[in-house]
Amino acid sequence: MADEPVGQGPIHLELRMGPKLTRPVPPEVTEALLSAQITTTAGERSGFQMAFDLTKKGAIIDRLLPEGFFDPRTRVIVTAAVKGTPIVLLDGLIVRHEIGASNQPGQTTLTVTGEDLTLLMDLEERTDRYPNLPPFKRVSRVLSKYTDYGIEADVIEEKILQPPNAQRRVDYQTGTDLQYVTDLAQANGYVFYLIPGPVAGVSTAYWGPEKRIGTPQHALSVNMDVNSTVDQLTFAYDGTAREEPQARWQDPATRTSTLLAQPDISPLRPPLGKRATPALKRKTLSGTAKKDRAQAEAEALARAAVSADAISGSGSLDVNRHGYILQPRQLVGVRGAGRTYDGDYYVKSVTHHLRPGSFQQNFTLTREGLIARSDTVRP
Amino acid sequence: MAEPQPYESALDAIPGAHPYPRSSRYHDAEVGIHTQPDGTAVRYVKRRLLPPLGEADEDIATHTVSSGERPDHLGQRYFGDPAAWWRIADANPVLDPRELTAEPGEEIALPDGFPGGGGRFGR
Repeated sequence: MADEPVGQGPIHLELRMGPKLTRPVPPEVTEALLSAQITTTAGERSGFQMAFDLTKKGAIIDRLLPEGFFDPRTRVIVTAAVKGTPIVLLDGLIVRHEIGASNQPGQTTLTVTGEDLTLLMDLEERTDRYPNLPPFKRVSRVLSKYTDYGIEADVIEEKILQPPNAQRRVDYQTGTDLQYVTDLAQANGYVFYLIPGPVAGVSTAYWGPEKRIGTPQHALSVNMDVNSTVDQLTFAYDGTAREEPQARWQDPATRTSTLLAQPDISPLRPPLGKRATPALKRKTLSGTAKKDRAQAEAEALARAAVSADAISGSGSLDVNRHGYILQPRQLVGVRGAGRTYDGDYYVKSVTHHLRPGSFQQNFTLTREGLIARSDTVRP
Repeated sequence: MAEPQPYESALDAIPGAHPYPRSSRYHDAEVGIHTQPDGTAVRYVKRRLLPPLGEADEDIATHTVSSGERPDHLGQRYFGDPAAWWRIADANPVLDPRELTAEPGEEIALPDGFPGGGGRFGR
């Protein structure tokens, strides 16, 4: 196999950098890469950290750093290919870099830290008014400003429609675009995140319910001797996580206040476990009485849905052994953990640890009930 | 820019719903719907156009075919997956993949440095 430089193994990494349009980094940078760590979470901003070896009189310290190659707001795109299938892991911007100069030879490093492209939406505070626009239209209007970074909007209409009426209420935005979009998502039980890919330079801004449906990814096997693909897996069952929101709403015409019915969260979160967790806590939501009825209902639904995930799992795997890159924000099956904890889970977050010769992933899984719904998982 | 979609169809575009896995050459092909005269809708995969070949670069990696080699051998050797031979076939203008390795001693082009790094999506 000592043949061609196309690849030394089944996993290849490509690093692209540049101000707005990126191009592949010079070979000196690739050679100096010591490690990269990329974190992606559903409903939160992704981040990354990369460490480079800083040789004295090397190209990075002599030429690239003074030229501003690693300056903040430089765009970074990381693509990994497993068995020839490329997957964009990150599309982000550098926020800061640190240089640790050491007396030991070979210990001087450059550490670059950054966040994904939603950082762009968090730079500038603005006030704006959105008369007669329901939440999903407000979100698409905010997102349409960021198309020049290759961000496409994927916006889903909210579950409980909130028809606006400018005569009674005009919604205002204060703060950054990201804050506003995230607040709107939380008020509806939705999530907002950026999906990099499918090709370098393109990404999708998703505003909608967590996608807890569809074909699961290849299952994680644990405690199965040579067939195990996961190094370790821990499950936690938090009984107090689930709460029952109590929302009261006052009718402005009659001044009577009514307790809203418990919302049904299963359309927003299709159940993954057979035995649902009972809600131990009762939480009274404040400030719902003076809102529109639809808004109060949406808030109660969002609260009930977000708190429903009582079971969480975390673990780590080696991509070389597993054979696939575990993708966040999708379903995955688990087998070998026993009757109670087997079955499908939603992958909440994944942290990729890359270094020459190894690709490790740490992940967290969630679902709302015990016991798998089906006897099989996708192998 | 895509229009907002209604909540009911939100979960239609689910991950993994595409009939072809990510490693397949038809993963990026568009799925069309043909309506037959009697009204039944048939889903079909639209024609996949080959990505444009890169300009004849002098530093492109090549492979010299030895006798008895097959395209899947090359896929295993360069990508770690015998099913990935089509990436090599894409980089060489051949009609039949068996033409790739038909003549021992011939030099064939390998996809540009990093698999999927350029050209493949016609961008």
